[in-house]
Amino acid sequence: MAEVHVIGQIIGASGFSESSLFCKWGIHTGAAWKLLSGVQVGQTQVDTPQIGEMAYWSHPIDLHFATKGLQGWPRLHFQVWSQDSFGRCQLAGYGFCHVPSSPGTHQLACPTWRPLGSWQEQLARAFVGGGPQLLHGDTIYSGADRYRLHTAAGGTVHLEISLLLRHFDRYGVEC
Amino acid sequence: MNPREEKVKIITEEFIENDEDADMERQKKNPKVRRQPRKKQPPTAVRKEMVSEKSHLGNQQEPVQEEPKTCLLSMTARRGPQSLPPIPSTSRTGFAEFSMRGRMREKLQAARSKAESALLQEIPTPWPRRLRSPSKKELETEFGTEPGKEVESTQQEIDSQSHSRVKFHDSARKIKPKPQVPPGFPSAEEAYNFFTFNFDPEPEESEKKPKARHREGTNLEQEEGEEEPPAHGGGKETDEEELLNGDDAEDFLLGLDHMADDFVAVRPADYESIHDRLQMEREMLFIPSRQTVPTYKKLPENVQPRFLEDEGLYTGVRPEVSRTNQNIMENRLLVQDPERRWFGDDGRILALPNPIKPFPSRLPVETQELSIKAELETMYKKAVKYVHSSQHVIRSGDPPGNFQLDIDISGLLFTHHPCFSREHVLAAKLAQLYDQYLARHQRNKAKFLTEKLQALRNAVQTGLDPEKPHQSLDTIQKTINDYKSEIRQTRKLRDAEQEKDRTLLKTIIKVWKEMKSLREFQRFTNTPLKLVLRKEKGDQKADEEAYEAEIQVEISELLEEHTEEYTQKMEEYRTSLQQWKAWRKAQRAKKKKRKQAAEEHSYDETEEPHPEEDLVKPIPPEPTDRAVIEQEVRERATQSRRRPGEPMLVPELSLAGSITPNNQCPRAEVLRREDVKKRSLYLKVLFNNKEVSRTVTRPLGADFRVHFGQIFNLQIVNWPESLALQVYETIGHSGPTLLAEVFLPVPETTVVAGRAPIEEVEFSSNQHVTLDHEGVGSGVPFSFEADGSNQLILMTSGKVSHSVAWAIGENGIPLIPPLSQQNIGFRSALKRADAISSIGTSGLTDMKKLAKWAAESKLDPNDPNNAPLMQLISVATSGESYVPDFFRLEQLQQEFNFVSDQELSRSKRFRLLLLRSQEVPEFRNYKQIPVYDREIMEKVFQDYEKRLRDRNVIETKEHIDTHRAMVAKYLQQVRESVINRFLIAKQHFLLADMIVEEEVPNISILGLSLFKLAEQKRPLRPRRKGRKKVTAQNLSDGDIKLLVNIVRAYDIPVRKPAVSKFQQPSRSSRMFSEKHAASPSTHSPNHNADYPLGQVSVRPFVEVSFQRTVCHTTTAEGPNPSWNEELELPFRAPNGDYSTASLQSVKDVVFINIFDEVLHDVLEDDRERGSGIHTRIERHWLGCVKIPFSTIYFQARIDGTFKIDIPPVLLGYSKEQNMILERGFDSVRNLSEGSYITLFITIEPQLVPGESVQEKFESQEDEKLLQASEKFQAECAFKFPNRQCLTTVIDINGKTVFITRYLKPLNPPEELLNVYPNNLQATAELVARYVSLIPFLPDTVSFAGICDLWSTSDQFLDLLAGDEEEHAVLLCNYFLSLGKKAWLVMGNAIPEGPTAYVLTWEQGHYLIWNPCSGHFYGQFDTFCPLKNVGCLIGPDNIWFNIQRYDSPLRINFDVTKPKLWKSFFSRSLPYPGLSSVQPEELIYQRSDKAAAAELQDRIEKILKEKIMDWRPRHLTRWNRYCTSTLRHFLPLLEKSQGEDVEDDHRAELLKQLGDYRFSGFPLHMPYSEVKPLIDAVYSTGVHNIDVPNVEFALAVYIHPYPKNVLSVWIYVASLIRNR
Repeated sequence: MAEVHVIGQIIGASGFSESSLFCKWGIHTGAAWKLLSGVQVGQTQVDTPQIGEMAYWSHPIDLHFATKGLQGWPRLHFQVWSQDSFGRCQLAGYGFCHVPSSPGTHQLACPTWRPLGSWQEQLARAFVGGGPQLLHGDTIYSGADRYRLHTAAGGTVHLEISLLLRHFDRYGVEC
Repeated sequence: MNPREEKVKIITEEFIENDEDADMERQKKNPKVRRQPRKKQPPTAVRKEMVSEKSHLGNQQEPVQEEPKTCLLSMTARRGPQSLPPIPSTSRTGFAEFSMRGRMREKLQAARSKAESALLQEIPTPWPRRLRSPSKKELETEFGTEPGKEVESTQQEIDSQSHSRVKFHDSARKIKPKPQVPPGFPSAEEAYNFFTFNFDPEPEESEKKPKARHREGTNLEQEEGEEEPPAHGGGKETDEEELLNGDDAEDFLLGLDHMADDFVAVRPADYESIHDRLQMEREMLFIPSRQTVPTYKKLPENVQPRFLEDEGLYTGVRPEVSRTNQNIMENRLLVQDPERRWFGDDGRILALPNPIKPFPSRLPVETQELSIKAELETMYKKAVKYVHSSQHVIRSGDPPGNFQLDIDISGLLFTHHPCFSREHVLAAKLAQLYDQYLARHQRNKAKFLTEKLQALRNAVQTGLDPEKPHQSLDTIQKTINDYKSEIRQTRKLRDAEQEKDRTLLKTIIKVWKEMKSLREFQRFTNTPLKLVLRKEKGDQKADEEAYEAEIQVEISELLEEHTEEYTQKMEEYRTSLQQWKAWRKAQRAKKKKRKQAAEEHSYDETEEPHPEEDLVKPIPPEPTDRAVIEQEVRERATQSRRRPGEPMLVPELSLAGSITPNNQCPRAEVLRREDVKKRSLYLKVLFNNKEVSRTVTRPLGADFRVHFGQIFNLQIVNWPESLALQVYETIGHSGPTLLAEVFLPVPETTVVAGRAPIEEVEFSSNQHVTLDHEGVGSGVPFSFEADGSNQLILMTSGKVSHSVAWAIGENGIPLIPPLSQQNIGFRSALKRADAISSIGTSGLTDMKKLAKWAAESKLDPNDPNNAPLMQLISVATSGESYVPDFFRLEQLQQEFNFVSDQELSRSKRFRLLLLRSQEVPEFRNYKQIPVYDREIMEKVFQDYEKRLRDRNVIETKEHIDTHRAMVAKYLQQVRESVINRFLIAKQHFLLADMIVEEEVPNISILGLSLFKLAEQKRPLRPRRKGRKKVTAQNLSDGDIKLLVNIVRAYDIPVRKPAVSKFQQPSRSSRMFSEKHAASPSTHSPNHNADYPLGQVSVRPFVEVSFQRTVCHTTTAEGPNPSWNEELELPFRAPNGDYSTASLQSVKDVVFINIFDEVLHDVLEDDRERGSGIHTRIERHWLGCVKIPFSTIYFQARIDGTFKIDIPPVLLGYSKEQNMILERGFDSVRNLSEGSYITLFITIEPQLVPGESVQEKFESQEDEKLLQASEKFQAECAFKFPNRQCLTTVIDINGKTVFITRYLKPLNPPEELLNVYPNNLQATAELVARYVSLIPFLPDTVSFAGICDLWSTSDQFLDLLAGDEEEHAVLLCNYFLSLGKKAWLVMGNAIPEGPTAYVLTWEQGHYLIWNPCSGHFYGQFDTFCPLKNVGCLIGPDNIWFNIQRYDSPLRINFDVTKPKLWKSFFSRSLPYPGLSSVQPEELIYQRSDKAAAAELQDRIEKILKEKIMDWRPRHLTRWNRYCTSTLRHFLPLLEKSQGEDVEDDHRAELLKQLGDYRFSGFPLHMPYSEVKPLIDAVYSTGVHNIDVPNVEFALAVYIHPYPKNVLSVWIYVASLIRNR
């Protein structure tokens, strides 16, 4: 019966080689969690930074969860996409991080990665764009053995998340 | 027990002796070895030594292996030979270091020897040699443990274990005779070591050793092998070297830093003869025999093998294993597993999992590789441009793709064709029968049943076997009984089957004979068919015996049955007999008594009464006669079975026969053949009723077969709804005729190309063909008999063999549309829901019953088909359900939960939050949800729960009439599904929704504004400034106001003096009527003089009510008043939700009521007249204008002159005749009589209406047509952006339909046509009235936020609700059917905005009909509400208005002029003849008068109650007399449609209610719900009269029209008694 409010924003992304980034995000929770209100998935606008390298999205996240257990604490997953000069979109990175578990405001930085693919694919990516993408998006946050996957590092997604917890003490959870 | 250990055991048991021998050998050899110089050492000796050591160590190996320190062990093992070198060598190695250990070792040794001696004493072994083994081990351990034996206990453990092993060996030896093993062969242990030892910790050595040994075996040079160890260096290697040449050990141990060559020893190659090796192998290997194991060995003692299959139980298919392999395995298992657990009841090795085992023994192993790959698979996706369009693709979730359906049409075969000759008919019949025979033969049910019978009989026999005492007699008896009943049934079935087989065979032969005779008769053959009967003679004697035996068995069974029956009957008989006897006795006793009594009173009883019926003496049942039964059985057998001696007949149909060539045939036959040749056939493939392809035309063969062999690949986008093949036949050069249509089933999604079997579908056609040659024709009787009897009528029929399958794409993915596509449209969606629910109810109703049935039906528990049922039974019978069907995804979730699910869902706060976020109507925009559960009242949910509960209950209270209630429910459902479909669209925002941005002024704007500064100021000519639009997001209650500007009115009815026969001048209360009244006949002059207050004819004021807020203007005077007042009404959105969707669905209506303010003198006393004025203000309702809020919302403003809805009868008022304007069109009638009001309505601030969603809908229209319509619309919009142009609309299923398909002549109800059979105009009016009586429901209300949906006329009439388009379409269709020229006019009207009207062409002029009100206007009527005309739509074309003006007054409606009207279909694009979406004919149910009457009473009651409710402070009296008068009057009004009855009515009223002052009027409305009626009555304000002695009258009349269209008349009146 504990409640969690996740309020915050996806500030932006830095360190990506591509400019004109946008981000698809989602929050995944375990079965014990129930979304009371808010939108669990979303997509930001495309930001083309004019000054500096950091792309700012300032995308709001406002969720209210009820939970009956600690398992499956909400986790955020991202797909950063870049839009090229032709308006084509391609994947720039996958990222994942847990929602913090202590109340208060948190600054999060979520590093991202993207699948590397074969050399042909890398070549194609360099010249004609596109690139390998995960067929199953849940691989981003699920713990399947990913060691087979060859990845390249992407940039970092920055978040600012404030957490309000309620009634956790009632069930012996100190926070 | 570990299987490996077992193996070891087996091997060790056999070869233990070898061990001993080796030990002995070594004892002998070892000294020799040391004595011999290295070079001379024979290889065999070394070998043997090693072997012996190894073999010995094998014993030790076992236990040690359990230890982690395997390396140690391998050490000892290798150091075996070391056991014999003299002790000094070891001591020299490093006495100092090892002295301590040495001491320890000695102690250990002592202890060990003690223990061993004790052990030896225990075992009285006959083999004294064995004694040496432990002692030797001591030695061995002494040396072997040198480098690494730190822990004593370990060694001890090893030792003790090895001892026990020794013990085991000994005992084993005792049992088994010792096989003779020649010395010098590897022992079993060694062999075992060789194969199983784990050399891991020291890979180099382990590798080397086998290698070395291998070399020995192959007799190769061994030198390198020997040299290798030193090369590797390290102490361990040197140790090994040491064992190899014992002589060098000392030197080696002295200096560890010896050079490599020091250790090299040159030795001859070890050799072992093949013979020896084979011998050795034979010793250590167990080779199971290949001989078949006799069954008795595999089964427990005295158990007969049992074959489940013979008992009729299901047994799976055993995997294919060669017989020898099975034998080997069986032999091995027999030795290894004496318990015979691996053998089944049938004595065969178990090869299949037990089917009734509830859980699988091991999970199926998935290939790890694949699954992981699938999870992590990446796919290279091209960078794709995001298609940004304002159109939302409805199914954006579906992969865009083409799907492919492969239709393989292989051929066609006629089973009957008109060109069939008689012989062909027979041949077809024969072929059919033969097919049937083959099918039956394949199934061979009779045989199966026979076997089953046999098995059952056997089972009974075994069950009766007294040798099985372990089962209770009861159960045996029960099972036997069961078996017997089963036998009975099976026998019956078998008999039936056999009989069928026999009759089939007979028929085949009969047909063949017929055919033969026919061929002989006609002297030619047409068909190559030939039947050969093959006789299979069996052994007659055996046959007879079997036959006889079968009969005997049957007889005995029957006999048994009969005896059983007999005994039962006997039992019954006995009991009844006894009863009878008792009764007889009683009777006799009674008789006796009675006799006595009769003797006494013989006079009063002449006849004895029979109170009880005589019991009939029971008849004993007859015992059955064996002979009779036998006869029966035999009779049956001869009927159904083959006679014993009779050969088995096997028919074989071949096509080997020859056909008589043409020149030998009679003329008629030749003609027939020629005719056949002329015919050819092709098939059309229809997909969703569209022809997609057709096969090539192939001639019909002489055998009436057509081979196509074509595969059509259909690239499709939608889920197929229907697939059909049409068979066309062409004769000669004439056109093709459609023979038949065959519907193919849409394949399952699992059926993919390559796997689909060829199927045959039958078709038949009902065509009648008579031919003038030999062909028998179709649908024509013909006969085989000469006399024409026994006539046959055959229809053309045949089979198409085809296969339909989904194609497989390049990557192996079947190209199947997703299942979500399978249900398109609301209707199908609803249907689907129904189907699911119906399955749910029918399939899962009573689990108990199901379980009971399952238990009774004796299902085969082994059959996997029955597995779920068996599980169900086990669950049902055991009572507890252990459900293993789940897989827990999150382990320990339950254990760590804070609260249970129930508790979580009980939380009111969470529930409220959830409901709010789901936008459930009751909770949408619910503000401020309390923090604590206790603060939330339970009643918050009451409404919601009630609604959920009543979802499926049709509530009649609200709607009264069930049909309308159902319609409302249906609309609700449609609406819900539509809303769900458009969820995506709802989330789509425009830039303007998100960003409010002031436009940055650019240079041109700046320039203009600068220019404006210099402009002249003209305060008298204000300019309209564009208002700022407000998006609906940040609004709250009170922000929005409705501004109603009432300008003026025309032609308001004026008062007429109240006339009364009993009118007296002295009346104290007077009516201020005036002299303009039209009927001077009833006018009394002295009355006129009594008006003290002015000469006004009418004092009207306007009251605007909206959402129960009422505002009114000041009172003006005269019939043409001018108010020019602005009224401001607040607007409240439902639930405070100001979102677009919510605003769109506001159903409130702005009522603009016009009242007449009447002043009544209430002066009681005439004397006071001089000193004061006492008047009462009364208001009389004159009429109203209703404007729905949605119209205002969408129009943003409404500006214009509207016709006031004035009741047909307005007592006390009349129109000023002289004021009526003569307007343009008067030839039929003055069309625009009535009162008008000029209004301006707007919302402040201006709201942005929701964009109607422009979507691409799927369509079944021709692609060209769609393109053309798009082009047409684009062109029109380019030229005249403000004119409405409509070419395609969306039907209720969400599909785009070309608009002309909606127009089609449709029959109006007969009832209406019969009213004025000769007057077309009157009929037209009546029809228009009928249409207008169908309630109006704007689409925007029913389908909030989405585009206009057009329903067809039958849907419209079924729903009984629709907006302008539906009304207009229906009216237009009626007019078309009446023979008028009619068009649909799309344009703008007030107050509706964009709307649809109907235009008709009467003689010489055009009429414009408002379909919603039923009124019609001339083209030049200034008060016509239609203001703009965009386009005209006829049943076959669309014309867009390209004239300069669009007002109907100024345009020419002649559509034939291409300069004025741009037509859609023209010479370049001719009208393709589109079929209509409308039904062929509308079917009208007769109106239900009784229901209408009932409804009428209820409405009256409700309204009366409402009026009383509205007058809480006053008494409401009802004048029954008046009510009945009114009720009488209303039907008249309906009949005359509210015209020309006023005067009569008034006169009558006056006659009856003379002494009452009367004001009232009838209201007329179409009926949809009760609420609008109530609102209408409320808005008239009749109830507002608060004169104390007022009385009311209210009458309701409902006139039912066909199709449940109801016209409601409500007459409300107030009466004040004149005093």
